[in-house]
Amino acid sequence: MGNIRKTIWILGLFMFTMMIALGSSFLKNRVQVLERRLAAINTDIQKDIADIHVLNAEWSHRNTPDRLRKLAYEQLSLEKAKPEQIINYSALQFNYENEKSGRAAVSNKKNLTTLVKAEVKKK
Amino acid sequence: MGFKVNFSKRNTEQFYLPGQEIKISRGILAAKSYTTESDNVLTCRKRTIVSLCAFAFLYAVLAVKVSYVCLGQGISFDPAITEQADIDIIRFKNPVKRADIMDRNGEIIATSLPTVNLYANTKQVRHAKDVAEKLNYIFPDVSYERFLSLLNRKGAFIYLKRNLSPAQQSQVNALGIPGLEFETCEQRIYPHKNLFSHVLGKTNIDNEGISGIEQYMNERLTTSTKPLYLSVDLGIQNTIRDELLAGVKQFNAAGAAAILMDVANGHIVAMSSVPDFDPNENIKADERAMFNFATKGIYEAGSVFKVFNTALSLESGKVKTTDRFDTSHPVFVGRLRVTDPHGSHGRLTPEDILVESSNIGSTLEIMQVGKKYQRKFLQSINMDKALDEFELPEIAKPQFLSEKRWGDVSMATISYGYGISSSPLHIITAFSSIINGGMYHQPSLLNDGAHQGKRVVSQKTSESMRTLLRAVVTRGTGKRANVDGYQVIGKTGTADKLENGRYNHKKSMATFISAFPESNPKYALIVVMDDPKASKDTFGYTTAGWNAVPVSKNIITAVAPQLNIKVDFDLEKQKNIVNAAYKR
Repeated sequence: MGNIRKTIWILGLFMFTMMIALGSSFLKNRVQVLERRLAAINTDIQKDIADIHVLNAEWSHRNTPDRLRKLAYEQLSLEKAKPEQIINYSALQFNYENEKSGRAAVSNKKNLTTLVKAEVKKK
Repeated sequence: MGFKVNFSKRNTEQFYLPGQEIKISRGILAAKSYTTESDNVLTCRKRTIVSLCAFAFLYAVLAVKVSYVCLGQGISFDPAITEQADIDIIRFKNPVKRADIMDRNGEIIATSLPTVNLYANTKQVRHAKDVAEKLNYIFPDVSYERFLSLLNRKGAFIYLKRNLSPAQQSQVNALGIPGLEFETCEQRIYPHKNLFSHVLGKTNIDNEGISGIEQYMNERLTTSTKPLYLSVDLGIQNTIRDELLAGVKQFNAAGAAAILMDVANGHIVAMSSVPDFDPNENIKADERAMFNFATKGIYEAGSVFKVFNTALSLESGKVKTTDRFDTSHPVFVGRLRVTDPHGSHGRLTPEDILVESSNIGSTLEIMQVGKKYQRKFLQSINMDKALDEFELPEIAKPQFLSEKRWGDVSMATISYGYGISSSPLHIITAFSSIINGGMYHQPSLLNDGAHQGKRVVSQKTSESMRTLLRAVVTRGTGKRANVDGYQVIGKTGTADKLENGRYNHKKSMATFISAFPESNPKYALIVVMDDPKASKDTFGYTTAGWNAVPVSKNIITAVAPQLNIKVDFDLEKQKNIVNAAYKR
């Protein structure tokens, strides 16, 4: 009995050792694969960062105010904003903030003209 | 008769039988210090078991550790921990080490590009003439002779060309010449060229800042790759520089400088000094172009100082806005005879003194206050020292008289802007503190929140000064800066240029300092024109009202809508504008 138990115990330990060895080997292999993948990802990230730097510089270069102004004028006929183009809400002929659609109210010319006339009459 | 006793094997190991040899076991790992038998097999077996146990123990420890790594830390449901773990394993090398510089809206104004330098290990290079010829074909900007002389030098690391483009690198690679190597590096790029030249400065070929914010913040820019945010605004800067260049051309000036400051916190929104330079170019620009007049140029500002004179007079309590000063006759202070260039004006209030820019009136005001208070006040607005905390190395120390030399004559001349030299940055910072409610804020180029201010004048004095300065624009020398709807306030100043210790009456420095809107000033602007010339348009005048003021008007008209400042027309006028717009 004693010998059998010892044999089982030794076999158990051997199996356990083998499992650990195999497990370690498997784990090492997996880690190596993942490390290679990680290194590849890091290289890609590094390359992407370099590309982003170049793209950012180009974006900034293409967005110089002079170029944008020229394009806005040529393509959209837009000019520099004038002081009188920025006014207070109170100057508008309707309650802009309470209107559901300010633009809809603007399009109602009759309403606007009536309001202006009423204002002038009051004064 | 002998007798026979049967012992089990286990029992026989517990004692000795008569005649049995006693053997002492010297094995370190032996379970007992002696054995009853000379059984080598048993000893070997025991040692094997012990070894197995030891290995099993080690593997068990390893197994536990691996389980802990895999199950304990590897799988986590805490997002913070997972994120941290992700960051730990991602170890890439940023190809760019110098941080970008952004304006306050996040637009890149200085960045770095990863690039390569070409160098040669000349010991390995054979047929130098052929190589030089081939390289000259790829880089036509470097002569064949230059390449040949470099290749004929002896060394393992000789730079042939810096900052190659990817196409050039590929072409050199394709040559397949042994001994030609690449070194990875980065190149500093300024996409807006001259626009921020004096603010940003530049870097040398080793990417070290050598001027401007590149030099001042060199450590910050090289130790962290996080972008550095400045308080400047790309669009505003562009507008101001364009207007300055137009002004310099129109008035044939030697140069000009302008600063736009947020009066609430001292942040510089735009700062330009022309002529300027392109920091992308490695060629050394001329000295005048490299000189940042806005921060380093010190000059006598002339009548602009009357703003400080009036403010300190009102703050002292010895002068009131309703007081009147007789300016009909010249005033004598010691040997100095103070006169007004435009003749006598009669009895003037402090407001009239500013409107008429009366030297006599300013002298009379300061004579009531005294030189001690004057000196102390000017010190409180930092007119006596360099603004060391400002983030540029190119700063100037004003020429400020010592207490001994601060006599009655100096007191009088300083009251109308002669005798003290300071930079435009000093003047605009002090001016902002007078009109913003009385708080002095250190000027700053960094967009990092408001600096703690110190009170230099009371709220009441500040309010009075705004009213007085509005009058200068509505009916004084600043009329041409009266942008409809913006309630501009300001003061002109024209001073003869000091050259080699003598005043040159043919050359002048014209300054206009302004702020808008009067009711609640948000921005202050200083425009300085260096030696503007008289022309038909200016009717032969070279005073600030004819050059610096119209340039300031153009700047305010253009930048105020960009800064989202609403005009303050009367309601009827605004309604007419709206109505006209809708009818269109």
